Amino acid sequence: MLARWIVSFSYFLESSKRYKRVKTSIYNLLENPRSKTKPFFDFFIIFLVVLTVSILIYDVKNRLPYHFEVIENIAVSVFIFEWLGRFWISDNLRLRIIRYYERKLELGEKPKLFTILKIITLQKIQYTFSPMSIIDLLAILPAYRSFRILRIFLIFRLFKMFRYTKSLNSFLKILKDKKFELNFLLILGIFAVLLSSTIMYVFEGGGENPKIHSFLDTIYWSVITIATVGYGDITPVTIAGRVITVFLVGGGFLILVLSTSVVTNALSEKISVLRDEKVLSQIGKLSNLIVIFGFGRMGQVLAAQLKKSHKKFIVVDISGENLEKAKENDYYYMHADASNYDTIDAVVFKNDVKKVVLTTNNDALNLSILLTIKARHKDLAVIARANSYENIKKFHIAKADHVIFPYQTVAEVAVEYIGNSVRFDAIDNILVQKDTITIDEILIPKGSSYIGKSIDEIGINRFNLTIISVLKEDARNEFVFNPDHYTYKFEENDSLVLIGEEKDIYKIKDDISRQMI
Amino acid sequence: MRKIVLFGYTKTGREIAKLLLTDEYEVTIIDENPMQVALANEEGFFGRHTTLKDDKVLIEVGIGSEAEVLFCVSDDDSLNLFVTLSARNLDKNLKILTKILKKEDEKKMILAGANRIISPYDVGAAKAFRIIQKPKVSKVLNQLSALKNRISISEIEIPKGSVLDGVKLNDIDISKDTNLIFLGMLDKDLGEKFIFFAKGINHKLDSGDILVVLGSRKDIRAFEAKLWI
Repeated sequence: MLARWIVSFSYFLESSKRYKRVKTSIYNLLENPRSKTKPFFDFFIIFLVVLTVSILIYDVKNRLPYHFEVIENIAVSVFIFEWLGRFWISDNLRLRIIRYYERKLELGEKPKLFTILKIITLQKIQYTFSPMSIIDLLAILPAYRSFRILRIFLIFRLFKMFRYTKSLNSFLKILKDKKFELNFLLILGIFAVLLSSTIMYVFEGGGENPKIHSFLDTIYWSVITIATVGYGDITPVTIAGRVITVFLVGGGFLILVLSTSVVTNALSEKISVLRDEKVLSQIGKLSNLIVIFGFGRMGQVLAAQLKKSHKKFIVVDISGENLEKAKENDYYYMHADASNYDTIDAVVFKNDVKKVVLTTNNDALNLSILLTIKARHKDLAVIARANSYENIKKFHIAKADHVIFPYQTVAEVAVEYIGNSVRFDAIDNILVQKDTITIDEILIPKGSSYIGKSIDEIGINRFNLTIISVLKEDARNEFVFNPDHYTYKFEENDSLVLIGEEKDIYKIKDDISRQMI
Repeated sequence: MRKIVLFGYTKTGREIAKLLLTDEYEVTIIDENPMQVALANEEGFFGRHTTLKDDKVLIEVGIGSEAEVLFCVSDDDSLNLFVTLSARNLDKNLKILTKILKKEDEKKMILAGANRIISPYDVGAAKAFRIIQKPKVSKVLNQLSALKNRISISEIEIPKGSVLDGVKLNDIDISKDTNLIFLGMLDKDLGEKFIFFAKGINHKLDSGDILVVLGSRKDIRAFEAKLWI
């Protein structure tokens, strides 16, 4: 009966839009790394932590007025709500229960109350004892009256700040990779401390050294010595004690140096991973991103042009040498293997990507990236470079939106050069844009005063522009080449394609935007 | 038959060779890589496995004598540079078009004597950029190349005694009744430099100047006929 009730309640929650909306907004506030509200909330929590801890420090020597209690209480209630929120969103229990119920239904069995309760408690207990949850709980516990003695645990609130620093997590992850080396050094250190302190205690613990009263004293001495701190409050007095000190200092130095090198090594090995994570979180906040795979010459030229027109893009390449250029120019870049699904997933699928450009010189790689993307998002526009004539067709089969075969275009331009250089220069300039002359497009928006006028009437001559054609972006999709200067009348949503100086094109764009105001 | 030397049967070289496969041209293909030469021969061209580093070979293939154009399109910038320099040394009037891979090499190539520089990556990048930033422009350019037979870029030399001889550019409205788009011109007096009309400079047209126009074949022929009146 109770089992049935829980299941139907789960279905009710699943169908409730408001429940989901509230849960999503809590998730955005607390956990979603991409949300805009989370940074403010994090900042607020860190502020509370710093405030309560500074009150504690001030409290040591001074008596605080009563109303400071209020701040403490407010802070603790915020922490409690925060923890409860995290506890709530840590798992989608209703989905688990529904899945369990439906499986049972298929098998024709009745759902067991015990299993349902197990699902509920197991997941939540698991969350409660996860490291992050424990840190949160430790920050709350000292507020409880009978634990007042544990006021010192307030310090644990400082740990809360670690929650909000991603780099610490990554750092711990890196150290995990070096678990074996670090464990070995730790055991070596413990062994050295125990050995030396035992020897020291045997030789000097029996009253020879007035500073040593217990075994604990020799352990303290050993640790201070091995760490090369050497306060000098406890010093060996016997010959045997001094000999063991010499060895301990030597060994301690070695252990210290080794651990330092292990940690630095791990860091330098993983620094690119850390950097990539940072870049991914930065581009996660951008919209209309362009992703360029391959940062050879073509990728570099394209990136420079995109930068000039203030487009947001990220470059992915496997060669560190190529990426040096990206680093110099301060582009977003990822040093990753694009044949790996995870790379494409992290860069393309997880972000708001508008277009993908494949510019590697490897057709197999370009095709594999293209197919990976199209399999998941068939509407995402992909521009692919083909490196051999035979493969152009394959790119079309794989549904590339645009295929660029640069060698053919170059050959066509090159062949023009056999005739007269004039045509070559004209085409070369238009295609590569070496001059300040550029070919651009301008949209005539609704409400523009150009509508209904002819080219001559708008005074195209004052802009020094040459109109090549007019495109109509409607059902007709018409293409008017060289529209007549006197008889052609502009219509709404006409797109003009024209050639001219960059500054003149800016002028006409400015002229059109003025009409809109 | 016009004699053309193609150095480097690379991807670019291959496409050039394909376009030149007419009776009008005699193309000599040279490559240092025997595999590429074999490929050229397989695809119906005449390929030679040799190096152009030796001036003797350059003379042998006709540079300094009947060869008109040299395409240096190997995949090695320094090799292209060397061949360009040697060929220029042998023939002052040879038309040399050199491919570059690295932007830094552009100035060097010009100094070595290349008339024009071309880079497949620049062209490819410009094309990709157009698709992203100016989709309509790329649509129009595609349309123009698709309508190749009807609309093309042509050059027209102003003949002696033509109506346009001695006329100032701003005084006439040539595009009005010709249905052609006038892109630019090459002024004989100003050397071998192409000038876009959109620069807004008021040029005086002379006989021997070359106009570059965009339009249908029919209109271009009609315009050419008019020039004589």
